[in-house]
Parts: sequence; C-alpha cells; structure tokens
Amino acid sequence: MKKALTSALVAACAVALAACGSSGSSGANGLSTSGGASPSGGGSTIAAKLVLGGSPEFKTRPDGIPGLERVYGVTFGSYKTLDAGGPLTVNALKNGQIDAGDIFTTDPSIQADGFVVLQDPKNLYAAQNVLPLINKAKATPGVTSTLKAVSDTLDTSTLTTLNVHVITDKQDPAAVAQGWLTQVGLAKHGTAAQGVSVKIGSANFQENVLLAEIYAEALRDQGATVTTRLNIGSRETYIPGLKDGSIDLIPEYSGVLLQYFDPKATAVSSADVYAALQKVVPAPLTVLDQSSAQDKDAIVVTKATADKYHLTSIADLAKNG
Amino acid sequence: MIQWLNDPGNWTAPGGILDQLRAHLQYSIIALVIAVALALPVGLLIGHTGRGRWLVTVANAMRALPVVGLLILLYVMLAPHIHGKGDTVYLLPTEIVLVLLAIPPILAGTVSGVENVAPDVRDAAAAMGMRGSQVVRRVELPNALPLVFSGLRSATLQVIATATVAAYLGLGGLGRFVYDGQASQNYAERNAGAVLVALLAVAADLVLALAQRYTVSRGVSGRFPRGRTSEAADGPGGGDLRGEGGGAADGPPVTAETPPSPHTA
Repeated sequence: MKKALTSALVAACAVALAACGSSGSSGANGLSTSGGASPSGGGSTIAAKLVLGGSPEFKTRPDGIPGLERVYGVTFGSYKTLDAGGPLTVNALKNGQIDAGDIFTTDPSIQADGFVVLQDPKNLYAAQNVLPLINKAKATPGVTSTLKAVSDTLDTSTLTTLNVHVITDKQDPAAVAQGWLTQVGLAKHGTAAQGVSVKIGSANFQENVLLAEIYAEALRDQGATVTTRLNIGSRETYIPGLKDGSIDLIPEYSGVLLQYFDPKATAVSSADVYAALQKVVPAPLTVLDQSSAQDKDAIVVTKATADKYHLTSIADLAKNG
Repeated sequence: MIQWLNDPGNWTAPGGILDQLRAHLQYSIIALVIAVALALPVGLLIGHTGRGRWLVTVANAMRALPVVGLLILLYVMLAPHIHGKGDTVYLLPTEIVLVLLAIPPILAGTVSGVENVAPDVRDAAAAMGMRGSQVVRRVELPNALPLVFSGLRSATLQVIATATVAAYLGLGGLGRFVYDGQASQNYAERNAGAVLVALLAVAADLVLALAQRYTVSRGVSGRFPRGRTSEAADGPGGGDLRGEGGGAADGPPVTAETPPSPHTA
C-alpha cells in the first residue's frame, strides 16, 4: 500500500517537475517571441531598425507592407500585429513597443501625443477626402452651396482637433459641430436651404457622426428641415438606405467610396479619385464638393523618432541611417 | 482550409503554424503551472481543514468574468506603466486572465477530491500516527488525485481554447490565424486556426489522461491489468485504502475513478 502511494507521489512530482522545467525554459522564449513578427530585412536602412505596428490585414494588404516595399522600397525590421488605428497601436507607439504605427490621419492621438505623420508624396494611400454623398433630388443649389462652404473650411488638422473634443474629451458631437460652425463664421442664419427636408445619416464611428452633425447644423442654419439617423452601421447598410430614400445625405470618404462602387479603381490622388468617383456613383446618388480634410492611413512616428532619424516622409525611411 | 493546412510554407514560415503552436503552448503552460501552484496547495488546505470553502465559491464566481473585457481592462491599466520593446505589456494581462480562468476548476476539483476521501480512511491514517501534513500528502492527495486531474484537465481545455485571445493583444499563438484570417478575409486561414486550437486542446487532454493513468494509484482508480482484476481487488493490494470501510464507504473514491475508465478500454 505504501509502495503504491509512494510511487504515485514520485510520479506526480516527476510530472510536475517536468512541467515546471519545460515551462521555465519556454517562458524565457515566450518573452522574446513576438506575435506576428516577420523576418528582418532591408539591410541598414532606417526602417530596418524600426518596428512597425498596425492592423492584421496591413501585413498582406496591397497598400500595407507590400505597398511600402513596392512604392518606397521601405522594409521595416519587424511587424507587430495590433489593431486598425485603435488604442493598441496608439498605446504601443506612445510607450515604445513599436517605433512606427499605421493609424489614421485624423486620429486624436496625433495631436494629443504629438505624433508625426510621415508625408506620402507618392500616394501609396489613396486620397480619402471628406465629402457629402447625397440623393440628387435633395441637392438643391442652396444645399450644395451650404455644404460647399463647410467642405471648403474644413481641413485635416481642424478635423483632428474636433476629433480630440469628441473622442478624447467625450464632448457631445452636436455641440462640437455647432461650436465649430460658430467659430468659423458658418453659423449665420440664412434661407439658402429653405423648404428642403433632409434626412442625414452617419456611419457608426465618432468622426462620421461629428461630420453628420456639422452638415445637419449647417443646413438647419440655412432653413432646411433636418432629421438625423446616426450610427447606422457600415457602407453595406447605409448605401441601400440612401438609394431607397430612408436617408438623403451621409458624410463619406472619397477613396473608400470609389473602391466600394468600383473595386478595380486605381486612382490615388485627390483629384483623380474625385473625378473617378463622379463617374461611378450610381443614380440617384451624387457626390458634392470635397473637402481638403482627409482621414486615411498614415505611417506615424513619435516626435523623438522623427527627430532622431530626420524623418518627414515615408521615403526617408528607405535612407541609410 | 485543407489546402491551407497542407501548404508546408504555412507550417514552417516564421510566424507559421509551428511557431504559433509553440507560442500557444507557452502561454497555456505558463498559466497552468501558475494556477496549479496557487490552487493545489490552497485546495488541499481547504479540503483538509474544511475551512475557507467560500474561496471556492469566489473562484467559481470569477468564471463569470468576460475574458476579453478583463483582458482589455488589464491592458489599459498596465500599458502606461510598461515602456520599451518587448511583449511584457501584452503577456502580463494575457497570463493573468488565463490564470484566473484556470484556478476555479483546479481549486474546486482539489477541494472536492479531498473532501470526498472516506472519513474512515483519514481516521485510519491518523490512527497509524500520521501527522496532519502526512495525512495530506500520503492519504488525501493520492486519493483526491482523480478529481484533481479532472479539474486540471478541464482547466487545460479552457486555457488552451482561451489562449486564442492572446492574438487580440498582438501576441502570437494559434489565435493569430483566427484574427488575421478574419481581418484579411482569408477564411481558410481563420477556420484552420480554429480547428488547430480545438485539436491542440484535445491532444493536451489526451496527454493529461495518460499522465493521470500513470500517477493515480491503482488502489484509487481500481484499474488493474486484465485478468488480475478480481484477484487483485480481493488481495492485499486492492484492499489498499478501500478495504477498511467496506461497502458503502467506498463511495467517494470509487465514483472518482469513473472518468479515466474509458481510457483503459
């Protein structure tokens, strides 16, 4: 009896020890094994010394890692799979787990944390200008001119600032919209859109809600009857809604909208994308004048990294450093 | 999916299946070892003294915590304090979540295993002059082993399945394929990842079943080589710990043996 128990205990201890041993050694590796790290390459370029972080699909997307290599000859030392311009990427960049991140040009953290957006002179990322997508029947001259005034005034850094108010400071989008219109002198009461009733929708993310509120406030000031249906969802949900008249107007982004209507589109510059978009948007929809504000992918680094390697453009990453 | 699994490049590439399999096992084993180190002694103590049973209830209540929510909460809390390269900031929340998940089944298994040791067996041990610690180590633990193992196996299953969320925080593991496949609409990759996680969980369970077979005393499991069963059960060996009580008193250890028996067939 004792023998059986003793051998059981010894065996149990042996198994436990073996488990401890193997985990001990693997634990050490565990810290150094990074998730989606790819092999380093690129020789002695600046990029080869840096870790890039971004969304899972960025690894394989044509304008992701393959695009960086094809267009700029930039190969990062390794890639860390995080999220699509979300808190993981922003925090990792802030705390130094990665050196460069793929986040969006209007992300509030760019201003809040002083990140540097690297220029994209070769248009690796297609233009994503903010523009109103509207049902033609509602695009009266008055509505068109009111929204043009908004688009002309808005730019990327303004939109980023407004995002800080809405996303970081959690202010009410409608109040932020109203405040900005007043500040830039667009809140003047008029009659340009008198008699028009517009149903404004938005996609389900904060910036789009904010843009919808800006359109709504601007049109209200010009006498339109405005109702809003915010946070509808994705393009697959609201485009049919625009076509069947459940909503009349929604803030959109030129590049992704072009891809949606024409998946084979190749235009990348603001002007080309806008021209192509005007051709493919199906009736009864149309796009109005675009804003210079763009919410698109960008390779972003911290101020310290930018200063250290003298980075202003993605092309600088391919230099030897 | 079969095609994706059959592509040798997907297995051996850096960040391929073999790499992620190793990472997945690392996250799981680290969590399980820590959980055993915490839950086993505590469980033995609770079972032996009969005090602190509320701890089991608390541990069980922790199972209701949503894993992904806790993971993100811990990450957000830890992120500002950990700077520089390396995965520590991702590994720490992941392991904490997995340990929290692994503790309840092990603790509950150990406590009920010890509690279900027949009282007369414990009395006999005391009568033989064993001290409390000796009773725990030489009588209660060996008798509780089948239930301890059943707790460990259920914890392992859960930890391996849940270690998939490590990829959510940018770590590796087989979850990488699930998240990456989903994000890049490569559904073959995503499905293959899910199947691999399931296979790994089953494989780990088989390994533990085997370990259980060789560590649980025959006197407890009642498992004897074919042909010798009746003889041994009647003999001094089989009488081991069950003989004394006879009949109904065998109850707890005998029920405990039921899980492993399919494997003996």
